Amino acid sequence: MSLIEYAANGLVYSSIIVLGSIGLSLIYSIAGFANFAHGDTMTVGAYATLVAFGVVGSVGFSVLGLPIGFFLALLIGLAVAAAVAIVTEKLVYEPLDIGSIGLLITSIGVAFVYRALIQLGFGADSIRYDVGFVQPIEALLPYGIRMTQHDVAIVVSAAVLVAGLHTLLQHTDLGRKMRAMADNPDLARASGIRTGRVKRWSWIIGAGLAGAGGAFLGLFNVLEPRMGFSVLLVIFAAVILGGIGSVYGAMLGGFVIGMVVEMMPLLTDVGIPIGIKYANAVAFLIMVAVLLVRPTGIAGQAIGGEGV
Amino acid sequence: MGALTDPRGYWDDLTATEQWVTAAIGLIVLGLVLLLLTGILSPSYFLFLFGLAGMYALLSFGLNSQWGFTGLINFSVAAFFGLGAYGAALMTGSNSPIAGGYDPVFGVVVALVLAAVVAVAIGIPTLRLRTDYLAIATLGLAEVVRLIVRHESQWTNGSAGIRGIPTFFASWPVLGTFPDVMPGLEIELVPGSPIVLGYSFWQQSLNVALLLVFLGGSFAVLRRAQRSPWGRLLRTIRSDEDLAKALGKNTYSYKMQAFVLGSLIMALAGVFYAHLNLFVDPGRLDPITTFYVWVAVILGGSGSNRGALLGGFVVVAIREGSRALNDVSWLPIEGAPIRLLAIGLLIILVMRFRPQGILPPQRELIWPSAVDDAAPSRPDRGVREAKGGGSDD
Repeated sequence: MSLIEYAANGLVYSSIIVLGSIGLSLIYSIAGFANFAHGDTMTVGAYATLVAFGVVGSVGFSVLGLPIGFFLALLIGLAVAAAVAIVTEKLVYEPLDIGSIGLLITSIGVAFVYRALIQLGFGADSIRYDVGFVQPIEALLPYGIRMTQHDVAIVVSAAVLVAGLHTLLQHTDLGRKMRAMADNPDLARASGIRTGRVKRWSWIIGAGLAGAGGAFLGLFNVLEPRMGFSVLLVIFAAVILGGIGSVYGAMLGGFVIGMVVEMMPLLTDVGIPIGIKYANAVAFLIMVAVLLVRPTGIAGQAIGGEGV
Repeated sequence: MGALTDPRGYWDDLTATEQWVTAAIGLIVLGLVLLLLTGILSPSYFLFLFGLAGMYALLSFGLNSQWGFTGLINFSVAAFFGLGAYGAALMTGSNSPIAGGYDPVFGVVVALVLAAVVAVAIGIPTLRLRTDYLAIATLGLAEVVRLIVRHESQWTNGSAGIRGIPTFFASWPVLGTFPDVMPGLEIELVPGSPIVLGYSFWQQSLNVALLLVFLGGSFAVLRRAQRSPWGRLLRTIRSDEDLAKALGKNTYSYKMQAFVLGSLIMALAGVFYAHLNLFVDPGRLDPITTFYVWVAVILGGSGSNRGALLGGFVVVAIREGSRALNDVSWLPIEGAPIRLLAIGLLIILVMRFRPQGILPPQRELIWPSAVDDAAPSRPDRGVREAKGGGSDD
């Protein structure tokens, strides 16, 4: 396998991690706690897409080896993940009167409930989307890249979503309010921003992106109830690397961590025998190292409040 | 005022919650006794469950000294539990790839040394971090430990696990043969359902005895430590670390001491588990174990050792209760997701309605003689207020 092939794989995996990281970082900066249920929100999105795809079916023509019905199902899955998150926020997080650590612990409970319900509904075994098996794209094979049309679809869709978020943050009223609130919630409130509404939109956007990330993860690998939790720590690593609370940092961190995980076999090629099985471990070690050297991450600025 | 010398006064002295909990425990104990007497619940299985509950209580004690008293949010409980279990198993198990066949006492020593070394190794980078980063970093490092145990099969036997672990007292002079020589008893209180006290009953009795030694020892150490100046300083760090720093204390060093102490107790629970289950595999290091212990501590009341005991028993009730669901064949559901759902809902409900836990620490935080003279008639109004001090929340 060549460097360029690992990079191509890394690009696909990074796209998924970036979608997860943005939401985690957004919710951290607006709601003020490390949301351990974020990974399982991705799982919710993946399974909702599965159900929606079953209903919508393989309607219409196909784009990049995927029926147009899949993209429709993806949108439904994204919406379901957002709806689940907003209901959870209303029912569980909003009535709580505890600090960020209490919210963090509560979110672990929420994660268990999501995962348990999915497992009750779909069983513990892994499932695949019924989109057929595609061969690697012939035109890229001479360059040593084995990439399927599905992989391209993941990267392109993620790029569209990220570009959409960028436009939202930079060029809309809501985006400006979100940035203001992430920067300083008290000042934002004092300036007359309806912080409750901004918070709700942050949950919707963050969970929606997570849902899309989960669906892509299901397309990239398989769907199983633990899938979201398994990537959660990688996503935390990405978010912390980028600077927790910074959306653009999360994009950068997600990209780097995704690349690192997929490029692990290179280490073996150059004679360092760390197998791909330790890819996640290396991601955590990078995270801890970053926390030690630069606790605010690459792009993060100091966050107000001392955490507790 | 002891419960035996003055039961009436002891009862009145309890808070309303404590009275409820005491009454509920009384009812449950009564129910268990009835189940045991009628032969529905086998005594050896009961002792096994008791051992499991006590093991969770031991883990909760460990987490309590880190989170409840020092405010360290440690999400690597499963790693230390697993290290304890593996330390014991690797020294004593028959298919251990490293040593094997040693006396379990060496297993205890190796497990504790291993846990202490790893605790320092994890503590050095993480204990300087802010609380929520500490949570994420410890969970990540615990995952690293799990991956190593899982994949380095030349040391740990990988996912096959280690079997052939002897019982703890197997090579002791009298206790080693105790379960064999004890006669098998059959008591028939209710006709048709005899209570059998055979080999496994005596074996489980020995396990429970070992557990009680571990529990009692840890409890005594923790109680003494937490009432000492050292424990007071830990609580200061929990409530206001800057204050402790301003008083000239090296808070990092104290946090490390609390972290190592708690990790040793968790490893002790792992040692007990290895000799109870006689088999360990990397599944013991799954993060879910960590979260079970967190549930036990939060449910019981962070910082409260009595609460940790209670939480340990509740967790085992959920775990084994949902396991029993598997046996009810007409129910179309499996135990594992129900267990997860119950734990999840329990976390959410406790954080929503009783974030301080069922038995929050009250007297445990105060030197006893300071309370006895002026114990208020209704302590749930707060011991401090009754003493004339203000609330210090």
